[in-house]
Amino acid sequence: MKKKILAAILTAAMTIGMVGCGSTSSSDNGNNSASNTEASSNELTVWCWDATFNIPAMEEAEKIYQKDHPDVNVNVVETSWEDIQTKLTTAATSGQTDTLPDIILMNDTALLNNVKNYPDLFADLSDSGIDFSKFASYKTAIGTVDGKNYNVPFDSGVTALYIRTDVIGEAGYSIDDFTDITWSKFIELGEDVLAKTGKPLLSAQAGGPDLLIAMLRSAGDSMFDEDGNPNFAGNDVVAEAVEDYETMVDKGILVEVNDWDQYIGTINNGTVASVINGCWITSTIQAQEDQSGDWGVTTMPRLDNAPNATNYSNNGGAGWMVMNDSPNKDLAIDFLKNTFASSTELYDTILPTTGAVATYLPAAESDAYSQENEFFGGDKIYEKFANYGAEVPAITLGQYWEEAKSALGTALTQIQQGQDIQEALKEADDTVSFAMSE
Amino acid sequence: MKTKKRKIMGWTFVIPASIMIVIFNFVPMIQSFILSLKRGSGTNMIFTGFSNYKRMFQDKIFKMTLSNTFIYLILEVAIMLVMAMFLASLLNDKRLKGKWFFRLAIFLPCTTSLVSYSIIFRSLFSVDGFINTILTNLHLIASPINWLGNTWTARIVIVLALLWRWTGYNMIFFLAALQNIDSSIYEAAVVDGANAFQKFTKITIPMLRPTILLTAIMSTNGTLQLFDESMNITNGGPANTSMTISHYIYNLSFAGNPNFGYASAISYVVFILVAILAFIQMKVGDEK
Repeated sequence: MKKKILAAILTAAMTIGMVGCGSTSSSDNGNNSASNTEASSNELTVWCWDATFNIPAMEEAEKIYQKDHPDVNVNVVETSWEDIQTKLTTAATSGQTDTLPDIILMNDTALLNNVKNYPDLFADLSDSGIDFSKFASYKTAIGTVDGKNYNVPFDSGVTALYIRTDVIGEAGYSIDDFTDITWSKFIELGEDVLAKTGKPLLSAQAGGPDLLIAMLRSAGDSMFDEDGNPNFAGNDVVAEAVEDYETMVDKGILVEVNDWDQYIGTINNGTVASVINGCWITSTIQAQEDQSGDWGVTTMPRLDNAPNATNYSNNGGAGWMVMNDSPNKDLAIDFLKNTFASSTELYDTILPTTGAVATYLPAAESDAYSQENEFFGGDKIYEKFANYGAEVPAITLGQYWEEAKSALGTALTQIQQGQDIQEALKEADDTVSFAMSE
Repeated sequence: MKTKKRKIMGWTFVIPASIMIVIFNFVPMIQSFILSLKRGSGTNMIFTGFSNYKRMFQDKIFKMTLSNTFIYLILEVAIMLVMAMFLASLLNDKRLKGKWFFRLAIFLPCTTSLVSYSIIFRSLFSVDGFINTILTNLHLIASPINWLGNTWTARIVIVLALLWRWTGYNMIFFLAALQNIDSSIYEAAVVDGANAFQKFTKITIPMLRPTILLTAIMSTNGTLQLFDESMNITNGGPANTSMTISHYIYNLSFAGNPNFGYASAISYVVFILVAILAFIQMKVGDEK
């Protein structure tokens, strides 16, 4: 008898447990399948990844759209970029496109490879009525494949040098000493700051060549040449950037860490005195409220010898894409058209909270861009970003960007371990050509 | 009549499971073999025969990941099985007190999730991590070691993680097998004047042979398909020198331009390797 009661209790417990699982998973994943049902045709599901940045931006867009369309809801599902890519690949190759949401945020560097590999997966927005001429031209160029517009450009990845004014002040410098300088000057200043304050200037993820690619881009150079071939060996710009990078590592001006969390840690814990990255890093820096007033923003250093060297570059940035098979495709396009592609009000609202610097040109004319930011000592940082953005050299992105990036990261590590620069770069060339020969 | 009825009964019990195995195991295996004969990326695939298999011979990263995987295999399986056997015979001692506690403590790691323990190992061995703090405070090293940034230390961290995770699991098999060895054999050996070492090498190991074979095949299979540790502890770095084959297969499929045909071809190579190694082990282990 006792056993029977026990069994009954256990069964009940398990059933409740299962119901519990069912309800949680339906709130997580159910929205994917929900997009197929009649009842939810007014709900748009969106995948994007940054809780301090593009997620709040999308939520603001929802509020703005709801003013005219009160019955439409946006369901934002936080999904890391790697997961979005994996899920896209899986859904596209298996033909299970109903597992995808209505709108995704796509990294600029991955757009070409996804559109080329899955031509029918994304909605062609060319005839949607969206005015693409209102976006920064380099951003629309990224979203245009074979003459068709595939994305609504979102944020800029224009790079800047973020620097701890209190630390360099201790070493006797001001932000002007770091403005519009070359890398050799930056290294010289870095040595002095390190000697006087014990703080290295920069940090980077070991084997992650983001900074190196930003250095290349600042001189109008890319990992691919105009014909789309890998562009490492025999390229003086690459060699110079690698040498500068290695010098900084050797002198202790640049500390390498093993993953992204540690990288963020070096910034927020005050391990390093400066950051060079896309302007989307602003929200991460601002998250450390006790450092308010200690940071300044200026241009990144330029290469000394490269012919087209500038102090401006770009790292990252993304755009919104609509899935072609989405049952709410028209609603999704209309939503983007009335928010990210036309509402300056939206960009004004999200700028102070998220620091999302738009590539929608009319937004840059608004007053929000000239506001002073207390965290950065009252500086008008958004105006600066908008000005820097206008100077970024346009470069060729390639379909094999990810492969090239990982090959360059490998080469960088090999060079640090003592391999000859040209030999390692040749090997990187070979690796990319091999991947392209599939 | 009765036997026929019984036969039908038996088949009805077996058939549902068999159909499931065919649908969820064998069909995908055949499909992936067909896929491995195709070329192209994404959804644009064309049939090209064995070109993917030829491609492997020119692929430096594949060769690197293959040798990495064999380094893990040789180091890890050998050390782990010896340790598991040693721990099992210690814990099988009748005079030992608090046996349940030690067994539990050694077995517990293998109930943890692969991803979460990998992340913990990564943070333990980071430059400003726990291990470096301990070693510097004990004055064993002057400055922190970048464990995950150097080829061999990164590989050693992965082997250590594997040992921590799997030794207890294998120990349980040895414990079970040890308890089946009749204690009278040991008593007879003692009467004959055997010491503890001789008892271990002359009685325990031969009696454990089937279990050694089982655990060796299981660990070989597991190590050749190693993925989580490579992905989460080192992310394959530095310069791909700690990346496993499975991790490379994942990268080919999901990072950058998907090349499923080539990825399937490599997974077939892993399949063949497991089969060959298991065959050799069975030949060596089964002397009869």
